[in-house]
Amino acid sequence: MSATTSNETAAPDLSAIARPPQVLNNRGPLWVTDAVCSIVEGKTPLWWYAAISVSGAFAAIGGACILYMIVTGVGVWGSNSPCFWAWDITNFIFWVSMAHAGSLISALLFLTRQKWSISISRAAEAMTVFAIVCAGVYPAIHIGRVWFVWFLFPVPNSYGMWPNFSSPLLWDVFAVTSYLTVSSLFWFAGMIPDLAVLRDRATTKVRKFAYGLVSLGWLGTARQWRHFEMMYVLLAGLTSVLVVTVTTIVASDCATSVVPGWHATIFPFYFMVGAVYSGSATILTLLIPLRTIYPQLKELITPSHLDKVCKLLLMMGSCVAYVYVFELFNAWYSANPFERGAFWERFTGSYSWYAITCLSINLTIPQLFWFKAVRRCLPLVVVLAILCNVGMWFERFMIVTTTLTRDFLPSSWGNFHPTIVDILTATGTVGIFFTLFLLFIRFVPIVNMSELKAALPGSQPKHSTGEGH
Amino acid sequence: MSHHLPICGSKEEPLHAIGARFDTPDQLLAAVNRLRAEGYSAYECYTPYPVHGLAEVMRLPKSLLSFLVLGGGLTAILIALSMELVPSTLIYPLVVDGKPLNLSALPQYVPIVVALTLMIGAIAAVKGMIILGGMPRLNNPMFAWDLFAKDASRGFFLAVEADDKKFTTAGVTELLDQLGAGDVTAIHLEEESK
Repeated sequence: MSATTSNETAAPDLSAIARPPQVLNNRGPLWVTDAVCSIVEGKTPLWWYAAISVSGAFAAIGGACILYMIVTGVGVWGSNSPCFWAWDITNFIFWVSMAHAGSLISALLFLTRQKWSISISRAAEAMTVFAIVCAGVYPAIHIGRVWFVWFLFPVPNSYGMWPNFSSPLLWDVFAVTSYLTVSSLFWFAGMIPDLAVLRDRATTKVRKFAYGLVSLGWLGTARQWRHFEMMYVLLAGLTSVLVVTVTTIVASDCATSVVPGWHATIFPFYFMVGAVYSGSATILTLLIPLRTIYPQLKELITPSHLDKVCKLLLMMGSCVAYVYVFELFNAWYSANPFERGAFWERFTGSYSWYAITCLSINLTIPQLFWFKAVRRCLPLVVVLAILCNVGMWFERFMIVTTTLTRDFLPSSWGNFHPTIVDILTATGTVGIFFTLFLLFIRFVPIVNMSELKAALPGSQPKHSTGEGH
Repeated sequence: MSHHLPICGSKEEPLHAIGARFDTPDQLLAAVNRLRAEGYSAYECYTPYPVHGLAEVMRLPKSLLSFLVLGGGLTAILIALSMELVPSTLIYPLVVDGKPLNLSALPQYVPIVVALTLMIGAIAAVKGMIILGGMPRLNNPMFAWDLFAKDASRGFFLAVEADDKKFTTAGVTELLDQLGAGDVTAIHLEEESK
């Protein structure tokens, strides 16, 4: 022990380059447990009922619209020749992309030992799962005759028909299915020890039973932790691959076609950086108000953590800006009249205001995050982050719809107008997302307690090998 | 000493273990070291978060999970490739845009292989963790101990099990007392858990 003390005094002063604390005010593990569990265990606040009524109403209206669409036909949407993909695929790409930042934060930053991501990883994973659920609403229903959805899967059938495995649309089915499965498993499995804490602390029989069931009898034995830690590393490794592959495959839907404006090798990168950009914006949009509502979270999700998410948003936003410029350059430099025409049409045609809104938001708003004063002004960050997502939605619309409405032949040009069913289905997915997130806040620990406690200063033994001590 | 030991569970049922609580992970590691030195082998540690070095001190083997995931992933590759190639080349060769369908077109089969490998690998990881960790098991003799069952996150728990060859109530209690353990308790089985 005396040797350790003399080492500490002899060490140079490293405070200038020390990492910012994981949890403010030197809080210990017991405080972390109480702070996180109190959100779930406290009385359901009134604002929660109000919020879930609103989001639930939107979700229910969206569900009714989907039912109406199924019994009537896709004609109730504005999609029609030549624009067979419109808000359905726009929203699908918007949601599935948003999911990616959650995987990046929880898996890639875990593998690279970026400990600051621990406090926000659980909420980011939840955002991932819920965004994929919202995305998953569209692929099945946009095919029109929903009862034929099983055609998407290679099921042996009496017609002897099989799907076309060289089609990126089929790759999509597998990519999104595996993304939903893997990210849900990662989210749930990482939560088991924390659910066991809620089980132990439960005061009513119903809660004890429910949390007991979902925590699968976790006890925190050394053997269980050994397997758990191995599983977490493996799952993080698998999920990190998904950060790159899923939007890449979604981008192939467009890029492998010959349509001008889509047929570009930069598309996978374009979709991926846009994905992490909009996801980082969503994390900021969700977490900053949550910190205000539950003040104890301010010490767990510190300004330094949010600052880092802002920097991630800035970096990805800059990549998006690069792609916009490069795409325009490529259209000009290729000297392909159709490619040039597609981009000229994008900025001067019927949908020019979509393209102008998209570019003016995505080229300017993220660049404001260069300034520390902006990153530290949290209400402003929320407003800017919401704007970023608006910009991203316009970008997805610009890519999907404006390209389809202006094909090679002027005779096959046409415009798309959303119907009320289109609009209410889209707001319905927003309702589904917020309803799921509100349920998440209320019933599940929103911060990964066990991982955070293990990373707190002083929580690990001083002599960790045990050999010869 | 032993007759002062608090008892939980049902007195008529056999003794399951003697449990103890430590305040710091260092104390727990020291206790495990001592138990090993004394020749005990049937004991278990319960911690609120993974404690570095505990598995090494307990001489736990490396988790087999990585092999399970590797096996799952390799199986997935085989399943995915046969699922794609058998219909595309043998039973339903569908030529679209003049694209080839045989092995020369292998890259077009890669995305689905990747997706399925990740999915089945992840399922193997979670299922493996649950099964290797002895779960799901909704009852456990340890739950008879109120201090542990109500607030396992408030300490570092150790249970020396009664089926250890060296186990004597007096010996274990004295050893735990020497190690500075708190709340040393005799955990009996509950009637329902039989």
